[in-house]
Amino acid sequence: MKKITIDPITRLEGHGKIDIFLDDAGDVANAYLQIPELRGFEKFCEGRPVEELPRIVPRICGV
Amino acid sequence: MAKLKLALYWAAACGGCDVAVLDINEKILDVAKLADIVFWPIALDFKYHHVEAMPDKSVDVCLFNGAIRSSEQEHIAKMLRSKSKVLVSFGSCACFGGIPALANLTTRAEIMERAYIEAPSNENPNKTLPQTKVSVPEGELTLPELYDNVLTLAQVVPVEYFVPGCPPTVDLILKVVNALATNSLPPVGATIASDKTLCDECDRKKEKKMISRIYRTHEIIPDPERCLLEQGLLCMGSATRGGCGALCVKVNIPCRGCFGPPAGVFDQGAKLVSSIASIYQTNGKQDIEKMVNELVDPAGTFYRFGMSVSMLKRRIPQKT
Repeated sequence: MKKITIDPITRLEGHGKIDIFLDDAGDVANAYLQIPELRGFEKFCEGRPVEELPRIVPRICGV
Repeated sequence: MAKLKLALYWAAACGGCDVAVLDINEKILDVAKLADIVFWPIALDFKYHHVEAMPDKSVDVCLFNGAIRSSEQEHIAKMLRSKSKVLVSFGSCACFGGIPALANLTTRAEIMERAYIEAPSNENPNKTLPQTKVSVPEGELTLPELYDNVLTLAQVVPVEYFVPGCPPTVDLILKVVNALATNSLPPVGATIASDKTLCDECDRKKEKKMISRIYRTHEIIPDPERCLLEQGLLCMGSATRGGCGALCVKVNIPCRGCFGPPAGVFDQGAKLVSSIASIYQTNGKQDIEKMVNELVDPAGTFYRFGMSVSMLKRRIPQKT
């Protein structure tokens, strides 16, 4: 099966890639969006003083 | 002069550094006159295979923002290093680890567990975690490997210049643009910011007053004229490189050190501990214990933006 990979996805904030699989007729059999990025705010914000979070979480997305 | 070839890239970052480049407003037209952009994921539709096809050293300058915390980011860093004549570590994440390096206080396993299994918004009964390779009916999918350690760009490849800041300020970005335009780049290894501390450019009055307790930011409304540290607030100014124009302290918010350690300072946190120790009034052991208890999150505060370049580097997980 033929695979077309679009990597990276551009002109947006964040990281992503798309894999598109084509069948023998050249039609799309399936497509997968993958996010090849994880920073871990869910975890590393734990233990930080709550009054500091307004200075940390804006860095989830600066766009 | 032939136009320069300019690349911009983001690794573990928020996109704020890319937006900061646009914050130079109409001066972006000078950049367009000076350089052709050959890679910039947030703004232009170039793919990784385009970069791979470029000859070595064909990119004149690459502004690289973001920390390195995955195999993909390390791969792109090495690729852009070999394609670029000048590689600039752009922003606090690339220079010091930045906010993403707070992940060094935890582990990859804990992050995965929290993000994909424990988070209340998840529905993941089979406890599936991201895999570097996974077979699907149509073929195979791959993902980069997430590293346990968040690294700086310079910990992965050699770097010519450092532009600190979360994000770098307009003034500093224009300094870089002007240096490129006039072919007057500083000596290799230079940090494009002040060599002095933030305190040197802060207008607040320092009265050499001792403090008897440390306050959390919500506990007092600080005097807008006086030194924040001398009012008992943890301000990182004395342990932080200047060059930002004292943006946070001008709006009555203590510095959190995003410009990293000043020239000649090895460890930002140790430097701040020394500043606090020199003004904290103590009459014996019980006062020192009191002070230690008032520091609620020393590692996450002293190394808010600099965990990757600190002496600590990371938390060592306890063996079970």
